[in-house]
Amino acid sequence: MAHETHAKTLPADLSAPAFVDGWKTRAFVVGAVFSVLAAGLAALDHSIDHLLRGWLLGLMLTFGFSVGGLALLMVQYLSGGKWGLLLRRPLEAMSRTLPLVFVYWVVIALSLKKLYLWAQIDDAAAALKAGVINEVQAHAIEFKRPMLNSTAFIVVSVICFAIWGIYAWRLNVLGLKRDADSPASTPVWIKRFENISGHGVLVYSITMTAAAIYWVMSLDPTWYSSVYGLLFLVGQAYSVLALSIIVSISLSKAEPFKTILRQTEQHDLGKFTFAFVMLNIYLAFSQFLIIWSGNLPEEIPWYLDRFRGGWGVIITLDFIFHWLIPFSLLLSRDLKRNKKRLIRVCQWMVFAKAFDLFWLIEPNFKDAARNLHFSWGILEYVAVPVAMVAFWVAYFSAQLKTRPLVQSNDPHVAEILEPEHAHA
Amino acid sequence: MPPREGTYGLLAEFDTPSDLVRAAQQARHDGWRRMDCYTPYPVEEAAEAIGFHRNKVPLLTLIGGLMGVAAMFSLETWVSTLAYPLNIGGRPTYSWPAFIIPAYEWTILFAGLSAAFGMLALNGLPTLYHPLFNAPNFRDGATTDKFFLCLEALDPKFDLVESKKYLEGLQPVSVVEVEY
Repeated sequence: MAHETHAKTLPADLSAPAFVDGWKTRAFVVGAVFSVLAAGLAALDHSIDHLLRGWLLGLMLTFGFSVGGLALLMVQYLSGGKWGLLLRRPLEAMSRTLPLVFVYWVVIALSLKKLYLWAQIDDAAAALKAGVINEVQAHAIEFKRPMLNSTAFIVVSVICFAIWGIYAWRLNVLGLKRDADSPASTPVWIKRFENISGHGVLVYSITMTAAAIYWVMSLDPTWYSSVYGLLFLVGQAYSVLALSIIVSISLSKAEPFKTILRQTEQHDLGKFTFAFVMLNIYLAFSQFLIIWSGNLPEEIPWYLDRFRGGWGVIITLDFIFHWLIPFSLLLSRDLKRNKKRLIRVCQWMVFAKAFDLFWLIEPNFKDAARNLHFSWGILEYVAVPVAMVAFWVAYFSAQLKTRPLVQSNDPHVAEILEPEHAHA
Repeated sequence: MPPREGTYGLLAEFDTPSDLVRAAQQARHDGWRRMDCYTPYPVEEAAEAIGFHRNKVPLLTLIGGLMGVAAMFSLETWVSTLAYPLNIGGRPTYSWPAFIIPAYEWTILFAGLSAAFGMLALNGLPTLYHPLFNAPNFRDGATTDKFFLCLEALDPKFDLVESKKYLEGLQPVSVVEVEY
């Protein structure tokens, strides 16, 4: 008796289930409601400053889903593994949301003067004399002018978007071609995807660093950290893995994911996520430890802005939300194998990522540094990102519908259909 | 304790893990309790099929880890604040950020050691003798490519003739009797 007889068969219809359209509708409604809310808050606050800050948070979050999805897509082509086959089409759909992220970014590019101190100050010496900025800021802005100026910001960002776009486009086009081809050609396809993804991952880490530096780190022109790009890179893996688990478990209510999402791969994804929860705190803490140990006047104010004046509460909560809760819960083997609970933890992780971005972004601004205070504007950090993520989800759902959910021309397909105990 | 004599159990051999799991599920369903599965690599479904209960290794690991972090963190606190306080760059003697990394390393070390030794303590390894090694097909196959289900004589349902017939009904490659 061969165990082939136990193997399941792939459903004939591999397209996304009908309820994905429901996600789209619901996301649109949520997006609309929160957009109105965001506009209302801006009116109450008599300024759009906080709306733009919240927009930056929403940009970083959706950018993480989109380009992080592209990166994970490349990683799984390189590493192989059944978890990768499972996520391939959802990750492709995430990478195809890049146009929306670009539109989000355009809003930031159009309001550089509202967000970035280096864009506001044309003449650092005059601003110093007028008392708008201090000596350190004046020096940093002048010294970093060749890098931190509006033209460089836009050129570098557009180049980054173009590069991500090329990779996303190639991988998506080839993904469909591969399925149309005969199974005999599989080894050639595996090599082809590896050959694109290999340099893709490398280029991604460089372009990601550039984007993180320009878009977020340069909010405070005086400060720098060499691990900053890597922090965002790991942060993207953190949120993309959480999102991928949410998507695949939600899809598993119907075919084809009902068949192909086995407990083994779900457990593997949980473990993978757990590793990134650990790596995330490792990098964040080592950056803090090094700067705290050095205690240098060029570096430490960045942390003081984020610890003092009420921010201590936020960083403590951030530590609990972002690391302690997911870490403690994901330790459990039973939880990683339980669909309902794992999906809750992953939803929490997406929230925690947004909370962490709030702590990174808001204290960069003069009115908020070392001074956590309530204003109507601060609620924009909830309203704007929720609306942006909702529209992103709608776009993503539409993309998910355009392709079959399983890449069928792959040797892993046969393995994923076997009973779980058939392989070590 | 005098050496046990007689039949240890009946050993059924299977070619694939799926067949083993199905047979084990069937045996469990038919009321067998004193039985065990032997596979060349971990087959979790086989363990579940014979009603394998949870073990205490995760708990031991957690306790070990907590002991590690508590031990190292208190050691560092004691050394830096009481036993040998040093002024390092004007920082307070109780500088907890600097204590985190050694405390973390000890968490991992203690948790790892607790898991390894806890596993050995709870599973009874190293075992120098096991009756199943008397079966030649077990000696040859259990660590390479064969999957075994053993119904033990200690089970109240056990009867040499009836049980052998029953096992053969599960369509194994072979059934052999194993002596103590």
